[in-house]
Amino acid sequence: MATQTETGFGQVSRLQGTVFKYLTFGASLVGIFALGVLLAYVFWDALGLDSAGTVWYLTYTVTLLAPLVGFLAYARDRPEVTAGALEVVGLTLAGGMLSFAAIIVLIVIAGPQVWFTYFLTVVAPLVGLFLYGQYNREATWVGLAMLGAVVVGPIAGTLLLGTFGTVAALLGAPGVYFLSLVVPGAGLAAFLAADRFEASRRVTATVGVVLPVLAIAGVPLVDTVPVLARSVWFAVLVILGLPVGYAVANTARQPARRAALALPAIAVGGFLVGEFVVGALGAAQPSPWLDWQFLTSPTSSLPANAGLYPAVIGSVFLIILVSIFTFVFGVGTALYLEEYAPASGLFGTATRLINVNISNLAGVPSVVYGLLGLGIFVNINVQFGPVVYAGIGAGTVLTAALTLSLLILPIVVISAQEAIRSVPDSLRQASYGMGATRWQTIRNVVLPRSLPGILTGTILALGRAIGETAPLIMIGAVGTKYTPPGGLFDTLTAMPMQIYTWAFLPSEEFRYGVVAAGVVTLLIVLLSMNSVAILVRNKYQQEAY
Amino acid sequence: MTTENTATEQETPADDEQSDSLVTTDPGKGGLSENDDRGAVTTADTIIQSRDLDVFYGETQALQEIDLAIPENQVTAMIGPSGCGKSTFLRCINRMNDLIDIARVEGELTFNGKNVYDDDVDPVALRRRIGMVFQHPNPFPKSIYDNVAYGLRTQDKTDDMDEVIEESLKKAALWDEVKDRLDESALDLSGGQQQRLCIARAIAVDPEVVLMDEPASALDPIATSQIEDLIEELAEEYTVVIVTHNMQQAARISDKTAVFLTGGELVEFDDTDKIFENPDSQRVEDYITGKFG
Repeated sequence: MATQTETGFGQVSRLQGTVFKYLTFGASLVGIFALGVLLAYVFWDALGLDSAGTVWYLTYTVTLLAPLVGFLAYARDRPEVTAGALEVVGLTLAGGMLSFAAIIVLIVIAGPQVWFTYFLTVVAPLVGLFLYGQYNREATWVGLAMLGAVVVGPIAGTLLLGTFGTVAALLGAPGVYFLSLVVPGAGLAAFLAADRFEASRRVTATVGVVLPVLAIAGVPLVDTVPVLARSVWFAVLVILGLPVGYAVANTARQPARRAALALPAIAVGGFLVGEFVVGALGAAQPSPWLDWQFLTSPTSSLPANAGLYPAVIGSVFLIILVSIFTFVFGVGTALYLEEYAPASGLFGTATRLINVNISNLAGVPSVVYGLLGLGIFVNINVQFGPVVYAGIGAGTVLTAALTLSLLILPIVVISAQEAIRSVPDSLRQASYGMGATRWQTIRNVVLPRSLPGILTGTILALGRAIGETAPLIMIGAVGTKYTPPGGLFDTLTAMPMQIYTWAFLPSEEFRYGVVAAGVVTLLIVLLSMNSVAILVRNKYQQEAY
Repeated sequence: MTTENTATEQETPADDEQSDSLVTTDPGKGGLSENDDRGAVTTADTIIQSRDLDVFYGETQALQEIDLAIPENQVTAMIGPSGCGKSTFLRCINRMNDLIDIARVEGELTFNGKNVYDDDVDPVALRRRIGMVFQHPNPFPKSIYDNVAYGLRTQDKTDDMDEVIEESLKKAALWDEVKDRLDESALDLSGGQQQRLCIARAIAVDPEVVLMDEPASALDPIATSQIEDLIEELAEEYTVVIVTHNMQQAARISDKTAVFLTGGELVEFDDTDKIFENPDSQRVEDYITGKFG
């Protein structure tokens, strides 16, 4: 390729490389562009933006869009302000998604009695042990005790459900959530104030007191809003309020970052002013399909009354069960195959055979797994002596969760294996050389180091499970259900099932508006679960240095 | 680094009293000490002895009939060209070769008179008495404190942990450099500091023997000389067995030297001065003078 000239070193042709570079760039653009068009289209329909008039657009351009663009232009050359703005926005979004998840899991699915019981038997002991372990780092028994609490806690909780349930009933739902969320939240806030901001004792005490006072003071206001329960208010105050308060306090105490606080001011102020102007002018507003009513009501024969509530609860219920099953079995399998299974001899051959099969199973179509679920959980009737196993019911929560778990288990195993394999062997050698047992090495070296990778793989796999429709159809999940599932053996509908059903209804409003709103909800739930896992992952990455 | 007291260590050969105290002061160190019948030990100051030791990796023979007696509280160096089996021998002593599926060991290797390849020997208990430092510094991705505490925690020796950790870091000549940042990540240390941290980590659990597999080969000359000074100091308390590619290093720091040559053969084992000045074997002389290898 090189051509020698008399004046210099000559030129080396980069034509092929340049062409290849722009081809790869084009390839990545195609995918991103297609996704962008789809999302824009779905959001447009879900939010009903085409019914908004010119005045509405103009008003919000002036009150919201223009100040935001101005802020971005201002922050462009100021990294400190950008960092502050990112922190405020990021923690607000994460807090919002977390509180959404917490409301569904703790208040709707678990309910005050179940949550109170497991809070006392599992969550509180674990948190207490963890804090003691942080305080007294030489207490090596703490880790083992936490493991014991994970095993014993749920059993004790199940046995004591009646007793604690009665206590919870006496306290009432708001009382339970006040004790289990607001009080620990106040403690955490006081700790953060003292630890991160080096606040004086008085400020720390004030911070600790403000949160419960605010929670109680807000109750009369909350009671005026018909759909908002006190429990939900407590959850939102703690889980959304704490991160937002932290971000604002952290930004405000650094002079270079203070300008970042303009961003939330612009967002909230611009929205309020815009609302006022639009109302005063009587301009045509968008008529979103995705609104509070959509999230809180079941489906209906009228598009305007249709909602996704039972399906949202069903999907979240499913994903919790699936994540527990796949994490336990997937990580267990991966650990055995990577750390314990022999690599040579007859058993080594068996190990390799298992590995190859897991890789192949990851590629099996989901409808086949649906058939498998139908076979082993629904259409079965076998007798082992006196015990008859006749499946666990068509379309029940447990059947659906087990089928989806089988579907994503190979993906979880493979990604966990990759993460475990990426732990340098020199670290294992160091641990064994110190006289650590295999279990101690796995517990203290391999798992902490590979957990971020394991969590990432599990999240991606869960993302696949939450959107699956075919296996649910195969096991007989219903497409329309008017109540959320009440237990493991109750039937359920999930978000993709409900969207699938709507997509075939004759009314155009169903096929475009309601389906779009459902898809956007599905995406938001997916993102909120991912954000929780990403938070956990980042936490571990920081701990592992 | 303190280099003043390195000259004195040659004058402290292990005698009966010392080996006796090593056994009796540590009654709780696993199941091996009860087998330490001094009457049965071949020579009073031999702590590790191999007889007819063969090691195979699959079909390949890595070590051939090694007979070697490593004296207590001295530095024994293993030199030889790459692939001669010196690291393999080192890893036989604390049974790290067990971790390689295809490795197979025949013959006898005794530690305090007990064959470590007997069925009743727990390799984990054995490794708790024989520490190891590797070729590349491999601190855990934890804080400096947690790195040194790792062995203490895994072995449930958490009494007075702060003192033990300070003591170990002082012995490893690292304390002054890290005492103000024990909570920081060990990965932020320089390569030489990381290797000294690994040595501190190994000696924190008070082993009897410290095995070192080319501990300075990945380090610059200054860090290397610090490690060498450290090894000579360690020999006052511990038996040190070191594998090295660097013949000057072996000559500088060791009391005994074993020369392995290609094929996993132990050609000569004697006092270091003798090996480097007047070796019996012509092949050893050729290797040391650089005519081959």
